[in-house]
Amino acid sequence: MIRTVGLRRMLPAVAVASSIALIASGCSGDDKGEANTGGGSGGDSGRVLNVWAGSQTPIVANFNPFMPNALLHATQGPILEPLFYFNKVADAAPTPLLGESFEWNEDGTSMTIKVREGVKWNDGEPFTAKDVAFTYNYEIAKPSYLETAEATDDTTVTLTFNTPSFTNEDGLLQMLIVPEHIWKDVPDAAVATNENPVGTGPYTVESVSDAAYVLVANPNYWQEGKPAVKKVRYLALNSNQTSSDLLTTGQLDWAGMFSPDPSKVTGGGTLAMINTPVDPTVLYTCSNAELGCEGPQTDVAVRQAINLAIDRTTLNEKAWAGQAKTISPTYALLGRDDKWIAPGMEKESPQTADAAAAGAILEAAGYAKGSDGIYAKGGQKVELTLSSVDGWTDYNDAAKLISEQAAAAGIKITPMQVTWDEFAEGRSAGTYQLIMGGLIGTATADPYSLYRDWLTTEATTPVGTAIASGDWNFSRYSNPDVDAAVLAASGTLDEDAKKAAYTVVQENILRDMPYIPIVVNATQTFMNTKDYTGWPTEDNMYAFPPSWASVGAGIVLADLKPAN
Amino acid sequence: MKYYVRRISFYLITVWAAITLNFVLPRLTPGDPGEIMLAKLARSGVEITDQLVRSVNLLLGGATEGSLWDQYVNYLGKIFTGDLGVSITTYPEPVVDLIAKALPWTIGLVGLATVISFILGVGLGAWTGWKRGTWADNLVPGTTLIQSIPYFWLALLLLYIFSVKLKWLPIFGAYDVFTFAGPEMSWEFVSSVIYYGFLPALTIVLSSVGGWLLGMRNMMVTTLSEDYITTAEAKGLRPRRIFTAYAARNAGLPSIAGFAISLAFVVSGSIVMEQVFSYPGIGMLLIRAVQGKDYALMQGIFLVITLTVLAANFLMDIFYGFIDPRARQNG
Repeated sequence: MIRTVGLRRMLPAVAVASSIALIASGCSGDDKGEANTGGGSGGDSGRVLNVWAGSQTPIVANFNPFMPNALLHATQGPILEPLFYFNKVADAAPTPLLGESFEWNEDGTSMTIKVREGVKWNDGEPFTAKDVAFTYNYEIAKPSYLETAEATDDTTVTLTFNTPSFTNEDGLLQMLIVPEHIWKDVPDAAVATNENPVGTGPYTVESVSDAAYVLVANPNYWQEGKPAVKKVRYLALNSNQTSSDLLTTGQLDWAGMFSPDPSKVTGGGTLAMINTPVDPTVLYTCSNAELGCEGPQTDVAVRQAINLAIDRTTLNEKAWAGQAKTISPTYALLGRDDKWIAPGMEKESPQTADAAAAGAILEAAGYAKGSDGIYAKGGQKVELTLSSVDGWTDYNDAAKLISEQAAAAGIKITPMQVTWDEFAEGRSAGTYQLIMGGLIGTATADPYSLYRDWLTTEATTPVGTAIASGDWNFSRYSNPDVDAAVLAASGTLDEDAKKAAYTVVQENILRDMPYIPIVVNATQTFMNTKDYTGWPTEDNMYAFPPSWASVGAGIVLADLKPAN
Repeated sequence: MKYYVRRISFYLITVWAAITLNFVLPRLTPGDPGEIMLAKLARSGVEITDQLVRSVNLLLGGATEGSLWDQYVNYLGKIFTGDLGVSITTYPEPVVDLIAKALPWTIGLVGLATVISFILGVGLGAWTGWKRGTWADNLVPGTTLIQSIPYFWLALLLLYIFSVKLKWLPIFGAYDVFTFAGPEMSWEFVSSVIYYGFLPALTIVLSSVGGWLLGMRNMMVTTLSEDYITTAEAKGLRPRRIFTAYAARNAGLPSIAGFAISLAFVVSGSIVMEQVFSYPGIGMLLIRAVQGKDYALMQGIFLVITLTVLAANFLMDIFYGFIDPRARQNG
């Protein structure tokens, strides 16, 4: 009986308590709601600039530049700086940061760098050429082609290489310089979390929580008067939708992300969007029967026919919401790399489909149309599968559209959606026919690294053997002429000699189509132009604008100014 | 007393089975998860030291020295010292720390929302059952209609209306990250947590209250037609006493059993809710582990989920034996 009474007393008490909790949370909701929206988007100069951190929650404090899962958006650029910055969206000379100038020797086996004087680390220690030499010699960072790095005096560093290394210039000079007095005592640089990073960049770390981290201006920064924005907060957001909602409501000032309808995000009037496409989207083809590729696409005529059968205008409108840019079949970036496209070469890939021309190529190669409207040769029909990673909706849509367009030209392409693992495994082992994929755009105004990493024999393996990390020749393309031309281009700084070499490469790839060009994919950046000025613009693209851009993000942050 | 001894020993055996299964499963799957994990670490630029290889293998099985039995003993030792290994997506953060950071948010929000939903649903259900045949019956189709709306759609819609359009409520997170540099003990912080948790909690309550209400109402109607209710009425007891002590108490038994189960699954988080609201709980962590093929983290989360389900069931068994003497007699 006692128990019954207890229960009877308890029930109303619980009910009351829970309703109080509900009322309380409702009330505080209203109060704070107004305070938040009022304070969040004010334009005063003291306010914190909010940036999408790219990382997901929970954030773990880790500013180790040598670790792939550190908080790199802030580490690369805002906190640590390299000697020079190479702007991937402009054909411009490298921007000097910690370096002042550099000079190659005649044959590209040694480089002398003049280092900036009077720079201090954010802990007050002076920065010297010794730190630079230390970084290049540091085991975890040392490139394989580097022989020695030596500080000859406080402002000069001499590097020597085991091969001519002209083409490694951007990778080498964009290496983030770390302080010797800190890192020489780190026992294992691969696992150190470097929670209080010492750098030369415009910002230092103020605080880290599981949801965000805050940077404050470095008072010792070597560029007088910069940065004008004193605090930057990096927010961990778990989805594009959240980021886009925050941008729309004015709670986020800078984010690099894709939105199919950017005008909806920028509709409020405080934001601007800038689109800087750099990465080509292509169809990988397993093209080389000699290395073990199987399927109709090993015939160059089939690849050429598919190239002509694709309607790129429709693809861009339907799959990329009109945000992608025209691609060049030389894979050079149109606008930036125009001078490297050999004269007489087809500059842009065809923007409309030409089924008749595609058919003519197949017929010339001995194919005949069967009763089902599909071309065939020797009883072998032109039937291919096209894989795209499930959930990459732009690729999935494009694959479906390409399948329809190819059917009109008598080529049967079956789109397949695969998991990321199947995609990675297939392209690495060469067990595929066609894949919707991307090429990595080059970091400088020169298609060289793309030619070397994606087209040379050295960067590939026979089918069944995985391609080494850092190599990307998934099409198994192997052509001695291209190999020789790429090698020739690597050993010279002479522009004409390079152009001659690229002409050979381009003639070959335009015929062989190891990667069938589709579009150059969009890279959108949203930024608050009402409260802050100094962003990169179409007319003044002084740095690659996304908030995730390595090194570029530090330059943009240092240049920003509060609008009032 | 015998009842409790039996229950406790049953649960001890189940816990042991769960932990053992967690040990055996990775060793039964084709391929070597340890190898995959090391390859993944190597590809992301982490140097593979001997120590790392040993700890990965110990955790996941694979080419380890020692017999299966030695591995098993080692593994048990690690579990009991709270060492669940190292996450690769946030290397070198220990899995235990990641789970410890995420768990309070999930338990706080999803747990509270589940309790509120249960109390609200059962309370209203008892009341509509009592008032059967009146206008109160309309509550049943009303709440089940809301429940039948797909959760993610309801959540996105409310988020769009209240957070993006009206700007009354926040868009993401567990607290105001623009003001607080991390959790702290202050009234402002607590109220911020309540404010940020309000909409996610509301969506959970809206999408689950209908089930409790319907179940309780139907049990209530059945119970009210029992003979002992008629007897109680004939004795002239006050209706209020019949409602609480005779009808609601008996009708609520199945709901309480169901509550135990739903409470246990609180720990697995509400994956969709945490995704929509970018809420830093266990569900979010699990998605991240799956996306990053982070086996150690996944294993850790599964172990925690299994153990909590068992613990909640155990507590409910004990509690059930307390409120329903029949369970003690026959159990």
